[in-house]
Order: sequence, then structure tokens, then C-alpha cells
Amino acid sequence: MTITLRPHAPFSARVDLSQITPAVLGALTARDAEYRQVPYGGRMRALADLFFIEGTGGNGPLVIEIGDIRLDGVGAGLESGEIIVDGEVGAWAGRGMSGGVLRIAGNAGDYLGAELSGGRIEVKGNAGDHAGAATSGSRRGMSGGVLRIHGSAGARLAERQRGGLIVVGGDAGEGLATDMIAGTVAVEGAIGALAGRGMKRGTVFAKIAPVLPAGFVDTGNHDLIALRLLARRIEDLKGLLDGVTSARRIVGDTLLGGQGEVLVVG
Amino acid sequence: MIINGVEIRDSFAEAFPMVGARLVITADTPEWALTAARVTTGFATSVIGCGCEAGIEREIPPSETPDGRPGIAILIFAMDFGSLKKVVPLRLGQCILTCPTTACYSGMDTGKRVPLAKTIRYFADGHQISKKIGDKRFWRMPVMEGEFVCDEDTGSVEGVGGGNFLILARSRPQALAAAEAAVKAMGTVGGNILPFPGGIVRSGSKVGSKYKGLFASTNDAYCPTLRGAVASALPPEVGSVMEIVIDGVSFNSVADATRIGIKAVCQIGAAGGIVAVDAGNYGGNLGPFHFKLREIMAREQVA
Repeated sequence: MTITLRPHAPFSARVDLSQITPAVLGALTARDAEYRQVPYGGRMRALADLFFIEGTGGNGPLVIEIGDIRLDGVGAGLESGEIIVDGEVGAWAGRGMSGGVLRIAGNAGDYLGAELSGGRIEVKGNAGDHAGAATSGSRRGMSGGVLRIHGSAGARLAERQRGGLIVVGGDAGEGLATDMIAGTVAVEGAIGALAGRGMKRGTVFAKIAPVLPAGFVDTGNHDLIALRLLARRIEDLKGLLDGVTSARRIVGDTLLGGQGEVLVVG
Repeated sequence: MIINGVEIRDSFAEAFPMVGARLVITADTPEWALTAARVTTGFATSVIGCGCEAGIEREIPPSETPDGRPGIAILIFAMDFGSLKKVVPLRLGQCILTCPTTACYSGMDTGKRVPLAKTIRYFADGHQISKKIGDKRFWRMPVMEGEFVCDEDTGSVEGVGGGNFLILARSRPQALAAAEAAVKAMGTVGGNILPFPGGIVRSGSKVGSKYKGLFASTNDAYCPTLRGAVASALPPEVGSVMEIVIDGVSFNSVADATRIGIKAVCQIGAAGGIVAVDAGNYGGNLGPFHFKLREIMAREQVA
């Protein structure tokens, strides 16, 4: 049975939903769910003070009807199950997720899928800065799973990414893949300045050749069998790689001993 | 039992447990995929002398291969998993990695993992790149021709080695023609390989020898030129014997291949010079898998 949260009204302060998952609500009685405390502004509030709640005690997906830019931490730490947001969300959506699925029909704020290690996040709109990135002070960003952004992403996408796949249907802001360690990012639109600085390994797929730091070396165009393999094995890359057999391979950041690559497939 | 004038002798093939792995080799053209497959499965007729038994299982159309290019599936069998883990990377490194335009993929998902690029990626001297898709990882290795793509490992299967049958014919051309027909027909059965040259053995062996240190020696009971000089299993009209050896991923796959092969032989029949079909065994005390010819062919007749 689907668990539904429907806001009483637009929020006047930020709501932290990072402790609210299908597993948590599914294990609670209706009364316990209503009294579940969540941070709201600088205080704690009962969930029922903010949402109409239906379907607790079930094991179905969690649906948040009417998203809000002030809803932070949606799907953070999700290990299994599915969360569907009919609208937009604030910061930290899907932070540290290790499994399950998070679907967001609108835009997402900063740090979307930060330090994601498994599962799948799908955003129909745009994402803010630091999507799939490391949080402040952390050495590693996203390390697994899939982050699919159908719109554009802000700055520092995939910063210190360690693994997993990020696919962006629109543009990516400046500082893409800064200090990237491993993993794959694909951007179908334009890429902002300063991409790939400090990149150690990993792959950036680009349709439009980005302006890269001096430590990147253009190795020319190559027929790469891996492109065909990825196009067939990864559904999310079909749009970008279907029918593509060659790419311009730019390697870096060699100034820092890096062996990452930007593959221009346009 | 007699089928189309061919006696199916009341005998059985005695086979052994083997462990096997399937590799899928792709290349720019079917010819290069086949070249790589042939080289990789070369000198792999018998574990006695080659350390493994290998062969081409089937061609794979581009629509079914991981990278959309023409492919060939091969099977490699060894007596134990430790041996398999050694021979597969060796053959991969020497025969597939070196062959123009090829890539190599796992052909089995289940079972103990046999290393592929996990072992040979170091050839790339630090320039190797890995990508993980789901729980599977593959490697890209820069080579002079471009890039070699290879799955990290493949699954394995506890299969059956040494399934066999013997074709007893009046003459060598007739025995060979029947064996060729059997091989062609058996090529339609997946999950099997015929590891000997062209799928045919002309020098079947018995266990042991009069010479110390030899594990196997010529199967003198089936050598036409020794009839009368040894305890021969051949009637007077038999002038030549060919053997088909089958390794498969399961008992049933070997049994199916045996049935289809013998059926093809029997279609040629007595009119084509075929006298009998027999099988090689060691008395039933060595191998746990017994392929009783008459039971196998009776299944076909019922069907």
C-alpha cells in the first residue's frame, strides 16, 4: 500500500525529511507516524502538523504529493524501497543513499545524491550545485548507483566522485568532475568552465567539447569498442551513445598525474 | 538395437566431471572472431596433454553479443577449478588479447568466478581503465591497435567431459563421412564442444600402456590393423573407426549431442558403409557419468 504525505500548506521554513523513509513509516502505526518528530526551522515538529498522512504500516512506496523547495533531505540514507516526489525538493535529496529509488518530478536543490553509494535517483527537472559530489570535508563523493538528471546541473557536479554513473540531459555548471577519482559522468548539453581540474581517473562523456585546464592532453579521435558496450549495457547512456563508435579522447589532469578522460562523442 | 542397418552396441560412454567456462569473443568481422576462437581453443584436445579441453560452441549474431559485433562462444574445460583459473587467463592473454579487433566477454553469470581481465589487465602497465555496470566490471586496456575490452571475470559450470561414441565403418572414407555428418549435426546443440580436430578423433585411446609413465595408449581393441593380433572389438567387415568426444555443461547436453550425432550417423546407415556405433569406457569404475547408447537412442525413438 502506498504511503502518502501531503503538505497542509506551503512551508514557511525548511523541513528536514532525512529520517523519513518508506521503511520508517511502514513500521509505524498511524498514530506513531503522526507524532514522529522532524526538524522544521529551528525546532522539532510532529509530522502530522505538516502533512496529511495516509497508508502507514504498509510496505509500498512513499509518495510526497506537492513537492516544495523547502523539503530537505528527501530520501537521504535510503537503503531500499521507493520515494516519489510530485514536485520539487530542497537540498540533500538522496544524500548517502545506498539502495532503492528516488524519483523527483520537479527540480532538486544542492547536494542532490551527494555521496550516493547505491540505488537510483531520477530528477525530471534541474539539479543545484554539488550533485553527486562530496560533502564539505569529505574525501569522496558519489561512489555507486545512478544519478539521472533530465534537466541541467549546477556547479561542481561529480566533485570527488569515486564511482557510479551520473547522466545529465541538459548543461552542467562550472567545475564539473573536479578532483574526480573514478566513475562516469555524461553530459548531453554544454559544460561550464574549469571542468576536470585535478581529475585522477574516471570518464566524462560530453557532446560538446568543454574548455579544459592545461593539464589535459588531446589524444585524438579513436574507435572505442567500449562505447558500443556501454550503449548496449546501460540504458541511461543509450541516448548519448547509441550508434556512436568513436570519440575524441582527452586525458588528464596530467599536471597532477591524473589519468581521467573526457570523451567527446558529439 | 539396429537403426537403419547400423548396430547400436549395448555399451556406454564413461565420462568425468570437469569444470568449464564460456567466453564470448567478438571482433570487427566474423572471420577475426573465428580466428581468435580457433587459436584460443587450439592445442586443447585432451587434458592429458594440453591441460584443458576447449572448442567452439557456436557463432553468435551481432544482435546477441555485448558490443553488437559478430561473436563466437567458446567453452574451456579443465579437471578442476584451480587448473581452469590458470589456463583461461593464459589463453586469453596469448590468443585473444593479441588478435586484431577482438574483445572478450563473460559467457556465464553463475558459478565460481574465473578471472579474465582481472589477471591480464596488468599488461596495460597502469593505463587500464575499469567500468562497473551493476555488479559487473569490465576493463579497457590500451593496445597498439586501439583498445582491448574485456570483462573482469566469468562464471563457471561443473560439467561433463569425455562423452563419446565410436563409428565403426567398412572403410576410412565412409567412417570419416559419417563422423563429419555427426559433427555437423551436433553443432546445433548448445552447451557442448567437440575438442578434437574438426570434432573427430582418429586415435582413440585406452587407459595405460606397456610403457611406464604413459597414461594412455592406442585403443588397440578398435585398431583394424590389429584385428586378430589383439582382443579385438571389431567384426571382420570393419575397416576404420572414428571417435567423437563431447564435453558439455551438463549430463543432458552431452546426452542430447550424443543422440543427435548418432542419429546423423544412422541416417547414412548400412548403405553408407556404417556397421555399428560403439562407445569408449573403462568398465564403469572410473567415471560417474555413463551414457548408455541404447537408452539414449531409445529416447529418440520414443520421441
